[in-house]
Amino acid sequence: MDQTDSYPVKLYIYDMSRGMARQLSPLLLGRQLDGIWHTAVVVHGKEFFFVGEGINNCPPGGTPLGEPDSIVDLGSTEVSLEIFMVYLFSLAESTYRVDTYNLFEHNCNTFSNEVAQFLTGKTIPSYITDLPSEVLSTPFGQALRPLLDSIVINPGGNNITGQR
Amino acid sequence: MADQGAADPGNNNNNTPEASEGTIIKVTVKTPKDKEEIAIAEDASVTQFKEEISRRFKAKQDQLVLIFAGKILKDGDSLSQHGIKDGLTVHLVIKTAHKAGDGGSTSASSSTSTQAGNTSTSSPSTNPSSTAGSTGTAAPPTQTPNILTGFGDLAGLAGMGMGSANFMELQQQMQRQLMSNPEMLSQIMENPLVQNMMSNPDLMRQMIMANPQMQQLMERNPEISHMLNNPELMRQTMELARNPAMMQEMMRNQDRALSNLESIPGGYNALRRMYTDIQEPMFSAAREQFGSNPFSALGGNSESGAQPSRTENREPLPNPWGPPNSSNPSESGGATTGSTSTTGGTNPSVSNPLGINPASLGNGMFNSPGMQSLLQQISENPQLMQNMLSAPYMRSMMQSLSQNPELASQVLMNNPLFAGNPQLQEQFRSQLPIFLQQMQNPEALSVMTNPRAMQALMQIQQGLQTLQTEAPGLMPSLMTGGVPGGIPGGMPGGMPGGMPGGMPGGMPGGMPGGMPGGMPGGMPGGIPGIPTGGGMPTENPASSPSSAGTNAAQQQLMQQMLQMFAGGGGGGSATTQTPEVRFQSQLDQLSAMGFINREANLQALIATGGDINAAIERLLGSQPS
Repeated sequence: MDQTDSYPVKLYIYDMSRGMARQLSPLLLGRQLDGIWHTAVVVHGKEFFFVGEGINNCPPGGTPLGEPDSIVDLGSTEVSLEIFMVYLFSLAESTYRVDTYNLFEHNCNTFSNEVAQFLTGKTIPSYITDLPSEVLSTPFGQALRPLLDSIVINPGGNNITGQR
Repeated sequence: MADQGAADPGNNNNNTPEASEGTIIKVTVKTPKDKEEIAIAEDASVTQFKEEISRRFKAKQDQLVLIFAGKILKDGDSLSQHGIKDGLTVHLVIKTAHKAGDGGSTSASSSTSTQAGNTSTSSPSTNPSSTAGSTGTAAPPTQTPNILTGFGDLAGLAGMGMGSANFMELQQQMQRQLMSNPEMLSQIMENPLVQNMMSNPDLMRQMIMANPQMQQLMERNPEISHMLNNPELMRQTMELARNPAMMQEMMRNQDRALSNLESIPGGYNALRRMYTDIQEPMFSAAREQFGSNPFSALGGNSESGAQPSRTENREPLPNPWGPPNSSNPSESGGATTGSTSTTGGTNPSVSNPLGINPASLGNGMFNSPGMQSLLQQISENPQLMQNMLSAPYMRSMMQSLSQNPELASQVLMNNPLFAGNPQLQEQFRSQLPIFLQQMQNPEALSVMTNPRAMQALMQIQQGLQTLQTEAPGLMPSLMTGGVPGGIPGGMPGGMPGGMPGGMPGGMPGGMPGGMPGGMPGGMPGGIPGIPTGGGMPTENPASSPSSAGTNAAQQQLMQQMLQMFAGGGGGGSATTQTPEVRFQSQLDQLSAMGFINREANLQALIATGGDINAAIERLLGSQPS
């Protein structure tokens, strides 16, 4: 009776530095970072991501970041849109509220990772989730940490938490 | 029972006895908010697992949705089947009660979500009540309403999905009601939402098909199904069917038009012949009440009718101004055929479109559904709008209107939107001369026909509204000299707001439709569209954020628009500083450059808000056709 529809899940990866990180990171940080990654999960024809304003959604590739630098196929999920929405809303009210955004510890990639696991059981590539720790392991990162902590990324989209 | 080999932490295992030998495993069950460790037998079924979970999470089993590795765990499965082992995490989503057992509509809504947005846009418009209803039913759990409201399109979809049965029922009910209560029908027809929906031929077709009476008709007359498959014709038929009165007017106009056309040389004969072909069946169609015949007549003439009926539909526009009617068909015919005979043939009669008695204007033409359907039609066909605007007849009509504010105000006052609001009338009356002047400004017109520009204006307007609510203190500080230049911004901004029957959020498509007949109709709508509370929307601070990134010209436009409204709110003078004064230096520069046409310079400067370079471009490039 239940159709087991299968919905593809993709991870959109954006380099927010537009290649600058790749070039400048050895200089600034002392280690090579290929990009400053922002990720979003695309499922059911929408792109979902977590930013300063909370959990947002938009048409795939619809953020000001444009088209993703790379797309990772996370597999597929049976979770329907409806259930996914309930899930997202619960998240939005608990762990991913508007005020919980932290550039290092609780950012878009954290969200993408969690959602990816929920949907497919898989996590996102580790180079993405390891990014904050990589940065923080450099003296430069440490020095800039107070500043970076206060940065909140808001690339636009529709806020599902309804808070603005 | 409790003597399985695996470690038993003593969590409530009491209910796993049903599992036979299997070891107890600890599975973490994670909800977005919560996380619990549940001990369950390794070979337990999902049902048993859910029992345990429902106890732990205090939810009904029906509400539980378990997800593991991207798969939804169904009751009939077993844990081991999904590979759920000790220490692994299973995700749990607790559905709200109303969604329980909603698997069918869930997939329906998700599949519809992947389709084009057609359904989603139409469903909210057709059934705002049903979505509201379904949102209402889902209200008890706090999350659900958010779900529906938070996701734009999805809201309509979810409503549709959840109330999928309701939608059809509602539709049927509506139709039943409509059939029984003709007044309601006309009311509904006037609802801009409905009109929006009606512009979607697919939806219309579905709705019509769903109507048992229609089905009977279709049986009797196969041409009707023909007709239903031709979107153009569908739309026209909808309008005509709605307004037998309109049809009759059209007939009459056509007669007058034809008689006038006789005097015009050239290819109009052909046009006339075409008209005649349609005329008769249309007449008989109009005469009959709503029987099968009109449809057959229309259907039969679909081919020949499509094009000319499109043109002839423009005729209602000039109605309020009487005799110009006759010139219109030729005018519009000229526009469609692109022939140059427009200017040649129609000028004599067009030169004085307002030769009519102003009194005749007060016939509530604007109230007529014909007007509205025309406007709707226009909104569907921006090209139509362009043609009309570019018509010299239009120019002269506007000129006459501007010269005769009395007339214009009469026309406007008859607009039903105004009827209940004398304040608006006052406001509007004072704005009138400026507005009319602006109507003549080709720049203003081109802005109005540019959907993106209109959209931008709409956004600005909305931004202002928001700002007004957020920072009302800002507004009083924003009164500076107003300028008519602001009016094109204000009017188009007002019109899209006003056109769809006063809905500030009106679609850009409705905007061009607002222009001709709706121009007066749109404005009053537009004024309430802009917050009338105080009538002083925030200006600079407002325009800076909202126009952040827009050029200075737009900003100025904004200011002017606001001032105009502010001035209107004061019910007094709209302009304190003429454009000439404001643009004095620019005018001088322009004339020094060799642009000696002061009037044109001024208009260009007004349109560009004082930007000389842009004004020069306009002057060089503008060729009002």
